[in-house]
Amino acid sequence: MNLSVIWYLREFLSFEWVHKFLFVKTAPLTTPPYFRDYPLLTGKECTHCLACMMICPVPGGIEVLMTREDACHLPVTQSRPPGSDTWNPVIYPGHCIRCGLCVEVCPEGVLMSGRVIEFQFIDNTAFTSTFQLEVDHTLCMRCGNCSIACPVNKEVDPALGGGAPPSSMESVMLVTGGELKILNEDKCTGCKTCETACPNMAIRVVRQVEGIHQEDEEE
Amino acid sequence: MKFDDVLCPFCGCLCDDITVTAEGGRVTGVDNTCLLGTSKFLGDNRLKNPIMRTDDGWKDVTYDEAIASTLDALLEADRPLLYGWSGTHGEAQCIGVHMAELLGAVIDNTSSVCHGPSILAIQEVGHPGCTLGQVKNRADVIIYWGCNPTEAHPRHMSRYTTYADGYFLDNAFRDRTVIVVDVRRTETAELADVFVEIKPGGDYAVLSALRAMVRGRDEMIPDSIAGVSKEQLRHIVEICKNAKFCAVFFGVGLTMTRGKYKNVRNAIELVDELSRHTKATITPMRGHFNVYGSNEVNTWMSGYPYAIDFCRGIAFYNPGETTAVDILARKECDAALIVASDPAAHLPSKCIRHLANIPVVQIDPYPNMTTAFCNLQIPVAVSGIDAEGTAYRMDGVPIRLRKVLETEYPTDTMLLGRIYEAMMEVRGR
Repeated sequence: MNLSVIWYLREFLSFEWVHKFLFVKTAPLTTPPYFRDYPLLTGKECTHCLACMMICPVPGGIEVLMTREDACHLPVTQSRPPGSDTWNPVIYPGHCIRCGLCVEVCPEGVLMSGRVIEFQFIDNTAFTSTFQLEVDHTLCMRCGNCSIACPVNKEVDPALGGGAPPSSMESVMLVTGGELKILNEDKCTGCKTCETACPNMAIRVVRQVEGIHQEDEEE
Repeated sequence: MKFDDVLCPFCGCLCDDITVTAEGGRVTGVDNTCLLGTSKFLGDNRLKNPIMRTDDGWKDVTYDEAIASTLDALLEADRPLLYGWSGTHGEAQCIGVHMAELLGAVIDNTSSVCHGPSILAIQEVGHPGCTLGQVKNRADVIIYWGCNPTEAHPRHMSRYTTYADGYFLDNAFRDRTVIVVDVRRTETAELADVFVEIKPGGDYAVLSALRAMVRGRDEMIPDSIAGVSKEQLRHIVEICKNAKFCAVFFGVGLTMTRGKYKNVRNAIELVDELSRHTKATITPMRGHFNVYGSNEVNTWMSGYPYAIDFCRGIAFYNPGETTAVDILARKECDAALIVASDPAAHLPSKCIRHLANIPVVQIDPYPNMTTAFCNLQIPVAVSGIDAEGTAYRMDGVPIRLRKVLETEYPTDTMLLGRIYEAMMEVRGR
């Protein structure tokens, strides 16, 4: 026991060891170009489509906020006059897991991180999304709140919201045949107005995202 | 065959945009109806013919026999009660009042156990009301107090209030503020911008506090009233005072809890108070599709809306003494005619026990809980499906019910008319 303590002291208090500890030469720490860091803004204009927020797998990882242009240190463009408020994604590093999905899904290229965009271009991959509407008929009261509130229905059949009977079967959903029927799921824009207008949580909007390889489709 | 713009004979919303498909003497499909309306239109299990209770069970009888038996029961009685009337059309209700006068009977409708207190309050302080069309086109603040339209009037919010686009509100539900006041978090509360949870029985105090605050007497209000914070009350008052048009709807949660008609009176006076700052109206959420009509018919014929006692030969009205519940609980009534309602499902058990001991004739298309003790049930056509007539919406607008089926069943008007004629013959008039 005593011998080993002496051995340690002799080893670590030697000039050679202390010198090496303090002045050893290692390779400088640099971030490699392929490192996928927290996403940064590229300066391109955000259209507030919220695709990034919708695909983010962690709660509270990203938010699209109205931010002052100066605060983001973004270049001034015609659509973004100096001092104006613009929509911009804001990343919360404490929550973000740096998966890069938001970078990949953004149709405008607002975000960048590592070589995500580069590889997406090389591989020719993209995301497509569709919305699926599900009705629980045991909960649904057929009150019609969803079909009246739906902004797509308002465009397709403007009189519907005013209390007129439906004049078109092109609406997304209608109370017909004694139940709430989803007629045109493909027209759903995923705004979830129906979900918030439903008192019983009988209608749910599910967003289904699919990664596609565009070369395959062309073939 | 398809029928457009049919009225739904279920609740007081009286939706008039229903499309009904009927084939082979049956309703086979409905569009635009809520769950409640759908079940009424598509309901089957109707009685085929009148049934009479005997010692050995039920016996099928003809309509002539049934009418004769009804006459016996009602003409022999000293204090007959004619109860119900809310689920039939106005023409049949008229005959009911004539019949009550001839018999010296008590005629009462279901409002004595739901919105009767509202009528008492209205008789005291008036009714600052409006049609649902005005609400739809103008109201930017909607208050639901003690009612749950999602369950009881499912299309109320999509047709007349929150979600309906109006003339002055293009983007209805984003422009409207919805306040829900209730003792529990109902389904409707999920759609509210502001939900106020009141302790049961606290409505009167909260309404009084709101009135004081609208008058600018904030300082006299304690920090919390019936579980509602002063802060929240102040918030509501601000919303209401800044509204362009504030529409209040109230239900049995206000009329049948502690305070009863005084609650409603207070609510009406709050609306009156708010009208000094903006436009405000109040509307009761009536249940049966024509309970409002029953009050109207009774009023124009006898001067009183419900609980009318003709035993003196003239109309006498004293709720608390002449309503069905009082007459039955005191065991005064010795025969009852039940029309288009189901008292067994709603009256207190003491009243039901007495009803079970006296001759009861029920006029209703479907077997219901009252069938369990009635002595005779006579099926009729369903108003709004195979019978025409007039019904009053919850805002007092009369609308003509449409007929979508041909039927062999007599309508309420035909059956009651025959009974009344036979009564007049017996009484020598």
